[in-house]
Amino acid sequence: MHLYTLTPVVAFLLQADADAIRDEIGRLQRNFQGLIWGFVAAWVILAAYTLMLTFRERKIRREMERLKSMVEESEKK
Amino acid sequence: MRQKVIIVMLALVAILLARNLYAISMLPDEMRQGQIFRIIYFHVPAAAAAMTGSAVALVASVLFLVTKKFQYDALAVAVTEVGLAFLAVNLVTGSIWAHVIWGVWWAWDPRLTSALICWILYAGYMILRQALEEPTQRATFAAVYSIFAFTDVPIVYFSIRWWRTIHPQPVFFSKEGYFPPDWSRALAINMVAMFLLYAVLTMIRLRQEQTQREIDYLRRTVHAI
Repeated sequence: MHLYTLTPVVAFLLQADADAIRDEIGRLQRNFQGLIWGFVAAWVILAAYTLMLTFRERKIRREMERLKSMVEESEKK
Repeated sequence: MRQKVIIVMLALVAILLARNLYAISMLPDEMRQGQIFRIIYFHVPAAAAAMTGSAVALVASVLFLVTKKFQYDALAVAVTEVGLAFLAVNLVTGSIWAHVIWGVWWAWDPRLTSALICWILYAGYMILRQALEEPTQRATFAAVYSIFAFTDVPIVYFSIRWWRTIHPQPVFFSKEGYFPPDWSRALAINMVAMFLLYAVLTMIRLRQEQTQREIDYLRRTVHAI
């Protein structure tokens, strides 16, 4: 973190009373939690879609192998 | 060959995003929004990738109607499905940002509403495809529907200019907004990473669509024998 980002925080601490400081800490915590939830949500959606693609890939491959063997058996007969 | 390209691209995406996650965490907070502004690094690239995908789906659908080649139909369905996931990322991250900044999860604002309609329209495209059995009919109906669905995309993009809205105004390519060079660089890297990820997922989905067509052909063969 850059030092200049702390300047408004220091100025605020010098002026504010205890309740205001508590409110501000709560606001900053909510802000950070929101950011984490946002990143987690983005990754969960993309990971879920990728998993869906993986399961579908497996299903398609199994179906392909099953049909190929059926065609081969039919041709032998 | 295609498998190797996919693996290399996925590795590149992972490196770019991991490197950028560190770069984003090192950026100073935005003065009024605080740390939550960093959501823009996923929110905007996801929207840009999804909108580009919609344009690709439009072109592929028109090409299918003109040429009747099924490869264009396969491309349209692949980019649309991946676009739905990316648009969901855009909507969900936007909603979380709104909860922190506006104090509500959702507002019926022109930008938010048009983006939600866009997601519903493309979800409808996927449902329509499930409902139709005959391949040519399915591809034709889906292509026409995709062209219709695309009409919402410019509305999403221009909604913040056309109507009064509480959504933040654009900071890129506009005179009013300003985005510092450090922030722009990190955003550009995330943009590249998300577009690469979109391309990789589209390639995988496209291959599945082509294999599915082979399966349909084999089924008909088995049935004929």
